[in-house]
Amino acid sequence: MDAPTSTPALPAVLAADEAPAETGPSPREAERAAIEACKRGEREAFDQLVVRYQREIYRLCYRYVNNHEDANDLAQEVFLRAWRAIGRFRGQSAFSTWLYRIGINACLNFRAARRPPAQELPETIPDPGVGAAERVERAEQARRLREAVGRLPEKQRATLILKIYHDLTHKEVAQVLGSTVGTVKANLFHGLGNLRKLMAEEGE
Amino acid sequence: MASHLSDRTMTDLLEGEGTPEQRAHLASCAACRSRLDNARAALEAASKVDVPEPPGLYWEALRRNVRRRIAEEPERRTRWGWLAPLAAAAAVVVIVALSVGERPPTPAGVAPTLPAWSALPPVEEDDNLAVVSGFAEEEALVADWEEGRGLAAFVAALSDQESEALTMALRVEQQEGEL
Repeated sequence: MDAPTSTPALPAVLAADEAPAETGPSPREAERAAIEACKRGEREAFDQLVVRYQREIYRLCYRYVNNHEDANDLAQEVFLRAWRAIGRFRGQSAFSTWLYRIGINACLNFRAARRPPAQELPETIPDPGVGAAERVERAEQARRLREAVGRLPEKQRATLILKIYHDLTHKEVAQVLGSTVGTVKANLFHGLGNLRKLMAEEGE
Repeated sequence: MASHLSDRTMTDLLEGEGTPEQRAHLASCAACRSRLDNARAALEAASKVDVPEPPGLYWEALRRNVRRRIAEEPERRTRWGWLAPLAAAAAVVVIVALSVGERPPTPAGVAPTLPAWSALPPVEEDDNLAVVSGFAEEEALVADWEEGRGLAAFVAALSDQESEALTMALRVEQQEGEL
């Protein structure tokens, strides 16, 4: 089933950062402390960052590879690369933006390697209010749409994924992709137009 | 009619923004309206497609695997980490230097025997140093020099008997006026 889940997107997480903490450091302060600890080589601190971003990174990877096995491998790879590079993280952007950038690069490298797709993860939470035939139809539509997204040019696909599924702002997307807000807006609209055409070609 | 709206402007309109002039153009231009409708339909369809949720235990497995792979990584060096090899090398030098001339423990009640070379004057006051340096022609000493141990190591390595013999030789040579 491809019905939207209640998983909070990144902005919701960041919004929670701004809420006043009753006791102890705020999530954002805790994140900063964890980053500094990681820079000192404290491996345990990295676990906090993984907990916080694992879902978003896994989902980003899944959008690129469309199967659980490869998304799992890629997500691990993203965190490993982040660990190796965290000493060079200067805080000039949000940590999440930096992590997304590593993720996008890892996904693009993976696609460049052109590994054959592994078996897709079966849908795990069927909607009891929907009949079996309709579930199959929805799953098929979702598969076709994911494949259509996968056929978009790289920058359009990355823009769509970050904007629609990770709810990043135009500015954040621009930071991740090393682009400008204007280009991000143009790529988003162009990508949506292309997606519509691809969906029409595949019978939607 | 004015030229069609740019993709960038269309995104603004898609998100409910845009200027009154842009909205007016949209109202009067079927082509731009069609493009916007198509984009809106694609956005709506794409928004409904979520990633299948992995099994509940997956996240712990992911963290465990990341932890394991990070544990296999070499230790991270801090800003001054590059000094570590130098510090280690310096420590080795100090330990070797301190261990030179080390003697077995002296039995209780017996006055410790000073090493022969301890009787020698400091280098800057040693008039015989030129002679000692002449021993550098000796094969063993050459090896010492080549290995970077130098004169001090050579003298330090002498046994008591060798030290006495060296001292005697120096005195004889001094008495014979060769120095």
